[in-house]
Amino acid sequence: MNGRALRIGIKRGWAEHLQLLRNRRELITTLIGTAGLFALLLLWIGDEQVKGTTVSSGMFMTTGFLAFTVFSNALMTLPMALAADREEGTLLRLRTVPGGIPAYLVGRAVTLLCQIAVQSALILATGVAVGGAPLPHDWPALLWVLLLGTVAVVPLGAAIGCLLPGPKTAGAVLGLPMMGLMVTSGVMLPVTYMPEAVQWIAQAFPLYWQGLGLRAAFLPDAMLAAEIGGSWRLPYVAAALAAWAVIGMLLAPVLVRRVTRRESGSRLAERQLTAQAS
Amino acid sequence: MSAAVSVRGLRMTYGTAEVLRGVDLEIRRGEIFTLLGPNGAGKTTTIEILEGFRNRSAGEVSVLGSDPEKGSDAWRARLGIVLQNWRDHNKWGVREIVAHLGEFYDDARDPDDLLAAVGLTGQAGQQVGRLSGGQRRRLDVALGIVGRPELLFLDEPTTGFDPEARQEFHLLLNRLASDDGMTVLLTTHDLVEAEKLAHRTAILAGGRITACGTPAELARAVQAPSRVRWLEDGREQAVTTDDPSRAAWELHERFGGPVPGLEIRRPSLEESYLELIGRAA
Ligand SMILES: Nc1ncnc2c1ncn2[C@@H]1O[C@H](COP(=O)(O)OP(=O)(O)OP(=O)(O)O)[C@@H](O)[C@H]1O
Ligand SMILES: [Mg+2]
Repeated sequence: MNGRALRIGIKRGWAEHLQLLRNRRELITTLIGTAGLFALLLLWIGDEQVKGTTVSSGMFMTTGFLAFTVFSNALMTLPMALAADREEGTLLRLRTVPGGIPAYLVGRAVTLLCQIAVQSALILATGVAVGGAPLPHDWPALLWVLLLGTVAVVPLGAAIGCLLPGPKTAGAVLGLPMMGLMVTSGVMLPVTYMPEAVQWIAQAFPLYWQGLGLRAAFLPDAMLAAEIGGSWRLPYVAAALAAWAVIGMLLAPVLVRRVTRRESGSRLAERQLTAQAS
Repeated sequence: MSAAVSVRGLRMTYGTAEVLRGVDLEIRRGEIFTLLGPNGAGKTTTIEILEGFRNRSAGEVSVLGSDPEKGSDAWRARLGIVLQNWRDHNKWGVREIVAHLGEFYDDARDPDDLLAAVGLTGQAGQQVGRLSGGQRRRLDVALGIVGRPELLFLDEPTTGFDPEARQEFHLLLNRLASDDGMTVLLTTHDLVEAEKLAHRTAILAGGRITACGTPAELARAVQAPSRVRWLEDGREQAVTTDDPSRAAWELHERFGGPVPGLEIRRPSLEESYLELIGRAA
């Protein structure tokens, strides 16, 4: 990639981020979907305690929402955006300009990071405003867990986006597994509430490790009573997230290249026809 | 100077369907060339092979001196591309997307000049997704020429244009070809448009180029035989001939005077074209 593609890509990502902010429907969905839901939950059960600990549900949920924000943006929003860009011809348009595809990918990553940053800030602000949410006591851990957690899932999301047939099917294909992971991965409910078999499965996925790392940064050690092995296991967090990052980075470029190389006008027309027919 | 596009024995097969069966083309620099053919003739396939978006099954292809399958970024920067269907960048502003795509080139056109040239100055601040069909098509053309291409590909560019927009579009292409020396290859299934706009036209039918040349040459090449009818022995007689004038003269000789009910019908260019593609299919 050359400097020009990088520079245009960053500008492109920022422009698309601003377009999202200006889009009222998108903005309301984000506000109600994240901050609104979160505030309600806080008011409703925020004062209860996580079983067997002195940690409030409100504190626990703050970390859960943060982890899920990263996760859902990378593995839902990003693949759906990629599928939509393919169907509308955005990817093909960028194939027609020199250096267009690298700039496009940079742009997508920048928009994604901006979305994650805005939503995370919103969640923290809501938590503090409504009360019950802690501020992190371990800022360095917060930063590296958020960053590594993002790097672990963004390439994966890009790979999934390349495999999806179209944006309309994306929601159906991704929705259920996402819900399942959210419930089982210990971000909304402590993982030790789950049967042991489920705990093992949850630990295979990056969401569990992201959540664990964030809890380590935010929550007091009193929480450890409800964690697997009674420990934050930060080295494991780093190793698991890094492993997912590597898998994604090996997979994504191959798939992205295949998908962009196959883009053409007749393929586009074909897809638009099937989309209209269904 | 070498040709802008040169194609020899181009073949393309999708599965078992042979869409192109040996296409030969030579497009000179600075010329407006149309590829004319019915739906499904393989126009888009041909143009996408030239753009490097599709790998051919066989044949030799050279576009601006390169094989499109091995085209570099520098080569791509010399091409402008307007495809048949796209609805991309719907959330961008009109001027915003023109400026953005211009950034990829060293010597891009000024966005405002460009919007003026395609008649979209009034829509500069509008969202792309809210343009009408014809306005959207004009934006596509603007995006195709923003990088000052040497060679512009247009796949059915005037679909959805009203007569006035079509006229303006023809003037714009003529200006680009004569002022900037740009070579233009466009596809259409409208014979009248090809006749009006192009320096030369090739007809693609049945997977081959069945006729190629200037409008006059093309008219001669495709001219379908005329029908000469007359009354003889109380019955209607008819012959089909390429030389109706001679047939009429011979009839006059034979009758030794006026021929009863003599009628000569020379098919229009459009009818001739339809017959030609009917024969090839
Ligand atoms: N990716 C593909 N796979 C299989 N067949 C294809 C593919 N693309 C095109 N075809 C077939 O090849 C033939 C030529 O298609 P093409 O799109 O090149 O025609 P066209 O001349 O551009 O037609 P139109 O005027 O409708 O745009 C058609 O029969 C079409 O169905
Ligand atoms: Mg076509």
